[in-house]
Amino acid sequence: MQQLDEKIDYLLSIPPYSQAPDERHAALLDLLRDELEYGGERHSGYKNYIEQWPIHYRSSGRVADLPFLPVGVLKGDPPLAFVSPQEIKRTLTSSATTSQQPSRVVLDSPTSRRMTKGVVSIVRDFIGASRRPYLVVDTPGFMGGSTLGARGAAIQGLQPFASETTYCLNVDSQGELILDIDKAIEFARRHRDSEVLVYGFTFILWNQLVKPLVAEGICLNLSNIRILHSGGWKRLQDQAVEKTVFNQELARVFGCRPDRVIDFYGMVESVGVIFPDCTEGNKHAPTFGDVLVRDALTLEPVEVGEKGIVEVCSILPTSFPGNLLLTEDLAQVLAYDGCPCGRRGISFRFAGRVPKSEIRGCGNIQSKRTSVK
Amino acid sequence: MSDMESLTAPHRCLDFHIDSPAEIVEAASRLRQVVLDSEISPIEVMSVFDSWARSLDSRELDEVPGIVFLRMWLRRGTLEPIIARELGPNALDGGWDEYGRSKCRAFPLGVVGHWPAGNVEIQPLLSMTCALLGGNAALVRIPTALVDLTRCLIEKLVQSDRDEVLTRRIFMAAFDHDRRDLQEAMAQAVDGAMIWGGQEAVLQVRALPFPHWARVAVFGPRISVAAMDAGAWGNSDEQESWCRRIARDVWQFDQQACSSPQVLFLEKRQGHSIDEFVRVLRTAFETENQAHPRRTIPGTLTSAIYNARASWLLKDTSHLAIFPKGPDWTLLLGSGPDLPEPVQGKTLTVLEVEDLHDPVLMFDGNVQTLGLGMADPLKEKALTQAAGKRGVDRIVKLGRMHTFVPPWDGVDLIRPMVRMVRHVCSTD
Repeated sequence: MQQLDEKIDYLLSIPPYSQAPDERHAALLDLLRDELEYGGERHSGYKNYIEQWPIHYRSSGRVADLPFLPVGVLKGDPPLAFVSPQEIKRTLTSSATTSQQPSRVVLDSPTSRRMTKGVVSIVRDFIGASRRPYLVVDTPGFMGGSTLGARGAAIQGLQPFASETTYCLNVDSQGELILDIDKAIEFARRHRDSEVLVYGFTFILWNQLVKPLVAEGICLNLSNIRILHSGGWKRLQDQAVEKTVFNQELARVFGCRPDRVIDFYGMVESVGVIFPDCTEGNKHAPTFGDVLVRDALTLEPVEVGEKGIVEVCSILPTSFPGNLLLTEDLAQVLAYDGCPCGRRGISFRFAGRVPKSEIRGCGNIQSKRTSVK
Repeated sequence: MSDMESLTAPHRCLDFHIDSPAEIVEAASRLRQVVLDSEISPIEVMSVFDSWARSLDSRELDEVPGIVFLRMWLRRGTLEPIIARELGPNALDGGWDEYGRSKCRAFPLGVVGHWPAGNVEIQPLLSMTCALLGGNAALVRIPTALVDLTRCLIEKLVQSDRDEVLTRRIFMAAFDHDRRDLQEAMAQAVDGAMIWGGQEAVLQVRALPFPHWARVAVFGPRISVAAMDAGAWGNSDEQESWCRRIARDVWQFDQQACSSPQVLFLEKRQGHSIDEFVRVLRTAFETENQAHPRRTIPGTLTSAIYNARASWLLKDTSHLAIFPKGPDWTLLLGSGPDLPEPVQGKTLTVLEVEDLHDPVLMFDGNVQTLGLGMADPLKEKALTQAAGKRGVDRIVKLGRMHTFVPPWDGVDLIRPMVRMVRHVCSTD
């Protein structure tokens, strides 16, 4: 384990978008193989799975040939774990808005530490390293406890950039989130000339911050600001809010330029690896992870320009099998290297979810009758 | 329509486009009048079917899933005994059958509406033929995904039926399943309905406002199971042939049909492992996959296949699985009589059991077809009896699980869409 730790820490210490693709793949392949073996030693079912993969992981020549898990298997209860219950420091749960059953991933201390380091390494590359006043467009009710949801994990992941933290939403008597306008204005007044960080879930920023401030005609005048948001656009679809309009309106209420708004994608199952938009509007994978976009028919990585199903690779977790995860998201590969923003490796854009089309046909049994023995 | 227009305009059977309820009402009214004005006997229908079957025997259509079955189904040799059994020995030429002092004869219901499943390419036409054989007219809703293929196949019928004996009794309507106004108009306009498909689709269609006199035949969601006794799978001379048959049953309709086997139960053979049989089965799957590879796959199915593989192997370390890198096919190996959740997408669970009766005793009415590979006829007889009691509607040899011969789902295919009229002569 110590050797594995050292290898992970080494990759975490490298600037996250500095390695050429070949160099990155070689390092990842080596480490991911070790992690597969490590996981197999700790979970007999996982060992059974990886050993029956058509290509043995020790003889795989590419990350793309390593045994991945579909993210759906992390929805089980109890969650898949490589550690004993006593070692579990925290359980993260995914947002269950797009699926009935949330994913549950367990973190021990080393994985938790790496998760923080991973997020810091990535975010630092986009907004710089300094600590600054942090305005959270949410309530503190999501924090604390041994179980943390996607919103709480994202809020906490940005804490290392905070010199002080202010939550500007309250919960009203109906259980709805409402903006504490006075608190937001007071935060803006106190930090008008400082560098400031704001974070909120995409739909919360729009519904609970932008809409009320626009309605009141309020501008917070925080020009030296970085606004990060995540959580996806699904819940804004019925309001037909386009990304450009979202950025413009957010910039209007904060009194900043639209390019100060950064959308990032993260999933709790892929702890510590998030994907912020670069200045070109693309997403990149850090040195301690990768993204494979696979053709749905062959599962081979797609060519540049093509779309496919996203597999997220991360070397960070050792407490659960989250190193190679086939998601239910789609993405388009824009290049395998050479994004004009200067970041090395793959550049891609998400293209929605795998459509939940009904598998049609007379063999499609959705529920069983009572079994008679 | 002028003569010139009739020469250049597409045949109305080929114009599937529908945009208003009024078009459906008008079409149903015209079809009903055709049925009233001109009787047609099964023998006349079969005569056109014969020509149509010949025209479907072309290389361009070879790749159409199920085309071989459609051709076989349309043959006189296939249909004659079915009609005689379902409608009576004299029904072929529209005659009456005598039963003591009374006589019986089949008359059409009128206009029969068809709601085929979206996953079986030839189903709109198979369903339609059942109604036509009963002398009815057919109003067929074509699922959006099947429009081009159905048009291609019906074009062959138009060419084979120069006198419009059948085509004037057919109206094809292509519209999206969520066009509630068109669905309701179609339901209100028919005298009978044949509904096929998955649970969601069947429940939606069955809830439409059919007239109170309409007869409704539902061929709803079921699964199917394969089983072999130790004498059959253990016979090394026949393993290859059995495995080819299983692969063929799995490959048809991408394992999404109600007649597709989702699980294969193998009777344990003392002192023998199933390893060799599984090796032969794997080869059969590889061969079938080379011959009939998938052209496309919905992302949902890819996810379902990978989830099934992972869940199976993570759940129990005694479980094994064989699969290629892609989602092409999957064998999940284990033991026990429990029916696994159907995955589809050419994912076959192979389970060893002490006694083939064990899984059959757990069937819950959802099992449509039991495909058998048996060496022991006495065991087969007993298993058939048990399966029939437990809700299985078809018990057939492996390799013939999709062969479309009535009764299907336990009911006839032609008789539900006719009225058996009894005549007791007043002059006797």
